[in-house]
Amino acid sequence: MSQTTSAIESAGEKPKLKEETGGRQSFSSLILSPKVLVDSIVRLNPVSLLSNPVMFIVEITFFIVAAMAVDPRLFYPVAYVSERTFYVEVAIILLVTVWFSTLSDALAETQARITANSLRTLETEVMSKKIVDGQDGKRNVLVLPSNQIRKGDIISVEKNDIIPIDADVLQGIAMLDESLLTGESTPVRKAPGDQLIGGSKVISDSLVARVSVNPGETYINQMIKLVESSKRPKTPNEQAVTIVLIGLTAIFSIIVIGLLGLSVALNLGGDLSVLIALYVCLLPTTIGALLPAIGLSGISRLYARKIVAKSGRAIETAGDTDTILLDKTGTITVGNRQAIEFIPFDNYTEKDVGEAAFLASWHDDTPEGRSIIRLSYDRGFIPKEINALDLAEVYEFSATTRTSGVKLRSGDSFMLPKVGEGGRGRYRRKSVDEAFAEFVDYDLTGSNKSPDSIEIIKGAPDSIRKIAVSVPPEFDKTIENISLAGDTAIAIARNRNIIGVIRLKDVLKPGIKEKIQAVKVMGIRPVMITGDQPLTAKSIANEVGIEEFVPQAKPEDKHEIVLREQDESRVVAMIGDGTNDAPALAVADVGLAMNSGTQAAKEAANMVDLESNPAKIIDVVLLGKQLLMTRGAVTAFSIANDIAKYFAIVPVLFLTVPQLEALNILGLGLHSAVLSALIFNAIIIPLLIPLAMRGVSFKPASTMAIFLRNTLIYGVGGVIAPFIGIKAIDYLLQIVFHI
Amino acid sequence: MLQPIQVGDIALLLAVVLISAYFLGSYIVRVYKRTPSHLDRLFNPIESTIYKICGVDPEKGMGWKEYFFAALVLNVFQMAIAFVILMFQNDLPLNPQHFPGLSWHLDLNTVVSFATNTNLQHYNGESTLSYLSQMSAIQFLQFTSAATGICCGIAMVRGFVINSKDLGNFYVDFVRSLTRLFIPLCFIAAVVLLALGVPQTLSGYKMVTTVEGGTQSILAGPVASLVSIMQLGTNGGGYYGANSAYPLQNPNPASDVVQIFLMLLIPTALCFVFGEYIGKRKESIPIIVGAYALFVIDLIIAFIPNPIVVGPGMETRFGGFMTTFWTVVTTAVTTGSVNSALAGNNPLAIVAAFLGMFIQATPGGKGVGLMYLLMYIVITVFIVGLMSGRTPEYLGIKINSRDVKLIMIAFLIHPLIIIIPTIVTYAGGFASTVGLMGNSIGFTQILYEFTSSAANNGSDFLGATANTPFFNVATAIVIFLGRYGPIACLLALAGSMIGRKRATTEAAIKTHTLTFSVILVASILILVVLTFFPFLALGPILAYLQHNANFFGF
Repeated sequence: MSQTTSAIESAGEKPKLKEETGGRQSFSSLILSPKVLVDSIVRLNPVSLLSNPVMFIVEITFFIVAAMAVDPRLFYPVAYVSERTFYVEVAIILLVTVWFSTLSDALAETQARITANSLRTLETEVMSKKIVDGQDGKRNVLVLPSNQIRKGDIISVEKNDIIPIDADVLQGIAMLDESLLTGESTPVRKAPGDQLIGGSKVISDSLVARVSVNPGETYINQMIKLVESSKRPKTPNEQAVTIVLIGLTAIFSIIVIGLLGLSVALNLGGDLSVLIALYVCLLPTTIGALLPAIGLSGISRLYARKIVAKSGRAIETAGDTDTILLDKTGTITVGNRQAIEFIPFDNYTEKDVGEAAFLASWHDDTPEGRSIIRLSYDRGFIPKEINALDLAEVYEFSATTRTSGVKLRSGDSFMLPKVGEGGRGRYRRKSVDEAFAEFVDYDLTGSNKSPDSIEIIKGAPDSIRKIAVSVPPEFDKTIENISLAGDTAIAIARNRNIIGVIRLKDVLKPGIKEKIQAVKVMGIRPVMITGDQPLTAKSIANEVGIEEFVPQAKPEDKHEIVLREQDESRVVAMIGDGTNDAPALAVADVGLAMNSGTQAAKEAANMVDLESNPAKIIDVVLLGKQLLMTRGAVTAFSIANDIAKYFAIVPVLFLTVPQLEALNILGLGLHSAVLSALIFNAIIIPLLIPLAMRGVSFKPASTMAIFLRNTLIYGVGGVIAPFIGIKAIDYLLQIVFHI
Repeated sequence: MLQPIQVGDIALLLAVVLISAYFLGSYIVRVYKRTPSHLDRLFNPIESTIYKICGVDPEKGMGWKEYFFAALVLNVFQMAIAFVILMFQNDLPLNPQHFPGLSWHLDLNTVVSFATNTNLQHYNGESTLSYLSQMSAIQFLQFTSAATGICCGIAMVRGFVINSKDLGNFYVDFVRSLTRLFIPLCFIAAVVLLALGVPQTLSGYKMVTTVEGGTQSILAGPVASLVSIMQLGTNGGGYYGANSAYPLQNPNPASDVVQIFLMLLIPTALCFVFGEYIGKRKESIPIIVGAYALFVIDLIIAFIPNPIVVGPGMETRFGGFMTTFWTVVTTAVTTGSVNSALAGNNPLAIVAAFLGMFIQATPGGKGVGLMYLLMYIVITVFIVGLMSGRTPEYLGIKINSRDVKLIMIAFLIHPLIIIIPTIVTYAGGFASTVGLMGNSIGFTQILYEFTSSAANNGSDFLGATANTPFFNVATAIVIFLGRYGPIACLLALAGSMIGRKRATTEAAIKTHTLTFSVILVASILILVVLTFFPFLALGPILAYLQHNANFFGF
């Protein structure tokens, strides 16, 4: 093939967008599948082609030329008996052209269906514990998939459970991690009367709650509907492109009918089959054939990223995004903060703080706790009491006190494990409340305080302040400085003396900086939304290169921000998963809900990410762009092809006008000109199927730069490629078939 | 073959046109934006009197339908008046030569042709029309049709203005076009032409004795005033059948250059108007660059070294260079005046003329050329713009399927009304009625007739020989559809732009760049010129290939 065509193919082979292969099959294995072949032949039925006007017309021309082959005399004076073989050849190529188009449809649809089915298994079902009153008046717990839960059901949730659906708290107090839903990274305390957001995670204690909404239909079902191309409504952009194609078809119809009339009226000796060949070559068959496949494979590529779109329209709109709202937690930062520094007070050393932190965090399984252990370990602050830890008394984190800790007794290491008292039997578990009750006694009497026991408590600075016997003078200043830098402080008290603080820092998601940079380069404005203090927010925003951020935002604020942006005619993309996000998701042009989110959010959004990775919103935007680009590239290529085709066929159009041979700049033979142009026209369709299905590759750059690059490849390339291609096919025909 | 000095002459003339057009453009913007000016003291009383008499509320804005129908109804009304004048000119004053009234079909053809700025003439003015007909019917329609065109162009521009609420008021635009633009400019132009020797008299044709002793009738009349509006208004319908090839209409090279200047002036100024009117001057760049690049391509084609010597009908006073240049200009701005018989032009000049009329935007006719250019920009942005990865936007407005539909309809009208009538002419055997053969000579002439009509150009090969019922009626229909069809579609397009959301972010495709201008030119060539390529191949290109010097000769 020509240089340009190979450039297109090679461009298609190296997609710059990250491509996940899960659930996708290679084209070759799909093409060989008999099901696809049968499907593509069934689709040749003219009735089913009606939705594709260009291909429908090509099929009609096939019937005309086939009739000419059967009895040329019917078409006097524009058909010749001596040309029957030629008519057969032309008819075959025309039919193959249509078949290539139906093949691309069948391929795209099969691939989309395979991907869609593979996603079915991925849809994670959150299980919920429903409390039912048994016959004997006892309460039983029934474990059910959350889509079987109904409004009004009573559920129970315990530590580490995901709240299956939005509910109201009836009993208990617990700390919940809503960071993925609200962006607020600090755990939230929930008490009776509070609302639970589906998708949030219980990090301490347990609750009983009443379900407040009904779950909706599963997305997989909606998605499968999208894949049926016959049922898939055309997106607005597809409609507009179709209108251009119909318009061009109408113009070329007039031209060819005019030429036919002239040929008859002026006795120019034109041949209907040659005119039809010119007609079909001029028709935008390439884009006409690939248009459905391009749209479908766009959806398919989204599926491959485990994202379910409710409509093709949403994907295209994503390409138009002007503003992208990014939740700090979960999108920009990993959602958990990590320890980066120990700051000692008074006479204590960093080592003292590090060792105390190590001891206090040993039983803390949260990512934050683990990060403290890692930091101590890295700094070499490993306490000698480490052996005593297994038998220590652990104060678990409590929502009421917002602290956790550990108590070691000098003799503990020699004692037998207190089986039955501790959760796992290895050490004694005690709630912090209990420990505090004891401590009140210590403090009041001062007598019970044994010098050989070490008690270490870590927690929020103001909580630690309350239990401390004395507060170091620099305490407040240090805490403030840490907040100013955008970090979080955890205070450490040893035997009720505040010895220092741990500085925790938000950690950026790997690669997020580059992604945000890419988005900015493409002219999209990222806006960071966070519940953090302005200073914290600013430091994170600066770090990733975001100019605009909204600090101390409540989920309700998102709705306002979306409306404000839309007021300025910007297309807004956002992610969300809490019920509070639903109004914003509903108005946003592109709303990506997390699968872990609430039903309400998933209902309101137009896409759902089954993997619940909010950073994927950026991929969605880039995919949307790629989809539009691919459609534009094939359209431009298709139209640009016409120049060469004119020069191939017009010279041989009229037998009685041999002077037109001067326009035959490609030096093609009489029959070979028509056949080469037609074959090129047909073969370009399967050659571009991979491009249509993979999408045009692009590197993030300004839209104008991307536009110019694509114009050069597909526009200018579209002018040059057919000249080379047609000449090459002509050459082959002459060598192989002596035409 | 062009000499370097001739290239220099063309460049100099175009430079003068561009500079004058730039300043005129600013003035035109002020006229239609109703910017207060010193001229108000002179014109406001006149205009408000007109509004009062006609019952026009000058503050009332119009939607596209209202604007379009106001223009259409007014035009049809004007056609009716002119129709009556031409039909009964023998009973009306100022007819010293006692010319009879026109046949119904020639009358119909003439009024439709003149009311639509086409000026296809199936008659010879000097032997058909009275002074009154020339001055009232013909000249009157030349003013009103030019004004109508420019109004529609401005109305379309208003659709793209941010926060515009309507397309303006047609009657106000129309009146101001006449009072503030055409009448003053034509007055100046007429004086210049008068100074260059074009006559302006009502004293009847004079019999004079020539130096050889014979007698000759000097067909003088109110020529200068008509020539000024016919060129300025890109009308093209001359006082004489031979148009500006006739010595009294175009006495010398100086008047020839002035007339070329007049033709190009307002269409070029309108290219500048767009950017200034919408408050983004740079947006005029693709318009002006696109139009002039296509114009230069036309010129290059017309001046390709050519073995064919100029044929009969060439006006020897101006020579091949001036003639060819004129032919390209007159079709580039759809004026349609000629300074030679078209049959005398070489086939490639005819190819260039066809291109100008197919594109209609190089820079095209009064107002309408701008409308076409905007249409080409929007459709180009749509087709190539997707490649930027965004829904294509022009001036921040997303192009939707309705816009595309309107443009495709406007696009479709042209081939439809050129090709169908051409085929009908042959199929119905009408070609032979005007002495044309079924060969490339005849074909070129028939195709030219309908192309010129559809493009509202008006230049033609046939002239008074086409004064047959078939050609008069057929071209009248083609002219009417070719004028009002695209205007309706494009005004609807502009109307739908009003109140649409506009992206405030930086445009994905910077339309004000030279790069975009190049893409625009390529897209126009592919979308428009290629469409007609097979027909050109059978007509003038074939003639060129056949190397037949007298191919177009009668």
